[in-house]
Amino acid sequence: MQKTKLLENPYLPKPYKVLDFHRESSDTFTLTVDMRIKHEPGQFVQVSIPGFGESPISICSYSDKFVKLNVREVGNVTKALARLKKGDTIFLRGPYGKGYPMEKLKGNSFVIIGGGCGVAPLKGIIDYVEKERKDYRDILLFLGYRAPDDILFKKELEEWKQKYHINITVDKNAYGQFCYDAKEGFITDALKASDLNNENKVVFICGPPIMMKYVIEILKQKGFHDDQIFISAERLMYCALGVCCHCMIRGKFTCIDGPVFRYDEIKDFKND
Amino acid sequence: MQVLKLEKKNLNEFLNKLRVSYELIAPIKKDIVRFENVENANDIYLEKNSYFPVKEYFFKKEETLFRFDGKKFVMPKPEKHSRVFFGLRKCDLNGIMHQDNVFMQQVHDPYYIAAREHSFLIGYHCNEAPSPYCFCGSLELKDYFDLMFYDRNEHFLVEIGSDKGLFLSNKYREFFLPSSHMISHEEKIIKNADRLENPDISQFYDNPGWKKGVDICLSCAACTALCPTCYCFEVHDEISTKDNKKSERKRGWSSCQVQEFTRVAGDHIFREDREQRFKHRIFHQLEYFKQKNGINLCVGCGRCIEVCPTRIDFVQIINDMSKDAKNKTA
Repeated sequence: MQKTKLLENPYLPKPYKVLDFHRESSDTFTLTVDMRIKHEPGQFVQVSIPGFGESPISICSYSDKFVKLNVREVGNVTKALARLKKGDTIFLRGPYGKGYPMEKLKGNSFVIIGGGCGVAPLKGIIDYVEKERKDYRDILLFLGYRAPDDILFKKELEEWKQKYHINITVDKNAYGQFCYDAKEGFITDALKASDLNNENKVVFICGPPIMMKYVIEILKQKGFHDDQIFISAERLMYCALGVCCHCMIRGKFTCIDGPVFRYDEIKDFKND
Repeated sequence: MQVLKLEKKNLNEFLNKLRVSYELIAPIKKDIVRFENVENANDIYLEKNSYFPVKEYFFKKEETLFRFDGKKFVMPKPEKHSRVFFGLRKCDLNGIMHQDNVFMQQVHDPYYIAAREHSFLIGYHCNEAPSPYCFCGSLELKDYFDLMFYDRNEHFLVEIGSDKGLFLSNKYREFFLPSSHMISHEEKIIKNADRLENPDISQFYDNPGWKKGVDICLSCAACTALCPTCYCFEVHDEISTKDNKKSERKRGWSSCQVQEFTRVAGDHIFREDREQRFKHRIFHQLEYFKQKNGINLCVGCGRCIEVCPTRIDFVQIINDMSKDAKNKTA
């Protein structure tokens, strides 16, 4: 009895092979990992690089053959991840958290609003819809980046363009670079200018807190209800099991009650 | 629950006998009172509650989760301890109950379980609040012990609270006399320990009363370090200085009272000011934990108030807010 308890160590990361390393922009890259697990779009895994630490990274794909992780180099672990090559070993545990409730949202059109690397978890929704195309209607994408170079998933964008309606904005296009039909300005400008209505639509938002705040304001003006909006929260996290308490937002744990929340569940929480 | 009797003059002999088979850990007074290995039962000090809670024995201040040997993460073999803890107050026993819930029910934390499962908990019931900061009477504390000692002048009444307690009382039956006494609810009430008038703070989140009290907080985090229930932790890796392929993954206590607690990559801090962080701690203790588990996390030991270098008294802050609210509605 005691032995089995000790064997099931919930903190133990397991080794997986890196199948591909793809650079997306100067500070972001996508890892494809040989992890075959059932998961929902919006869930995350804990990624370890021994000696550097562990980081929660959202899964940006939907497949039972591999897991794709889009990472931005900002901290210790993510900078170490950037040095990985095809064939290297990576340590993961998961998946964790509640993803987007795709089953419950059948028959809806989706409005996907992503800012910067917030686009990563949202890509999981698009991959999911591609697989279960008949169950869902249209997809509208609003993607905002700082500069043309920061635009993620450029290869996939070309495909999405054929099928979905896409708005891309960049805060500043300083050198007048070619940038995938992006307009200069904020994502909120593009949103305001669009003739969006709330009919049979569900909105998914992921991005910096300040962006989410203003995006939600505009959505409300356009007639969206709180329960039509899903947001992904981000917090510092260690255990991903609802124990270490770092990711607590008021009484809710981002790691087990989220990271995806329906807006009416947490709208009063502000920045806590 | 079954009740036995132990003559006071036999206490030390009983404890010294325990030491033969177990590590005995009890409050000992040196510069401060803390739980330590007992060399001689005479050293045990029961006048006041211990300065440090007992949680460091189960949920360690720092421990190694894994050693990375260059290929895989390996969990270190847990040390086995058969320990008897004596002199635990009701508040600390409830603290252990909450941590048992978190680390043994909510997750199977193998480190906590290894440290905890071969331990016996023997309580010492306060007849009166041992510190002016106590407020356990305002909260609903549960009976959670293997054996509980009730101090009755010439003897102790010993209540058996679990199979482990029954096992101990059988093993050392030569010390215990039968008793027909049943310990009533009234006898379990601790006097002068109901400072907190109303532990329900659900309506106070946006109350300006917090700011007034918390302005003097230094974010030193003594309150969380000495809390018998606080169970937040952080995890970090340390590279071996001899071989950079090898490393250790460690975890240690962490405190919600410092900014680092919610700092994410890109240097965004979610709970940036002290008021938010202080409120978060109190709401976790009195509100959030209750929402999930149906019971307050706070056990009313008052240590966080006693050790605060600026004497921030959250009980007083809450009482003032309750009073204000009452005046407004009246």
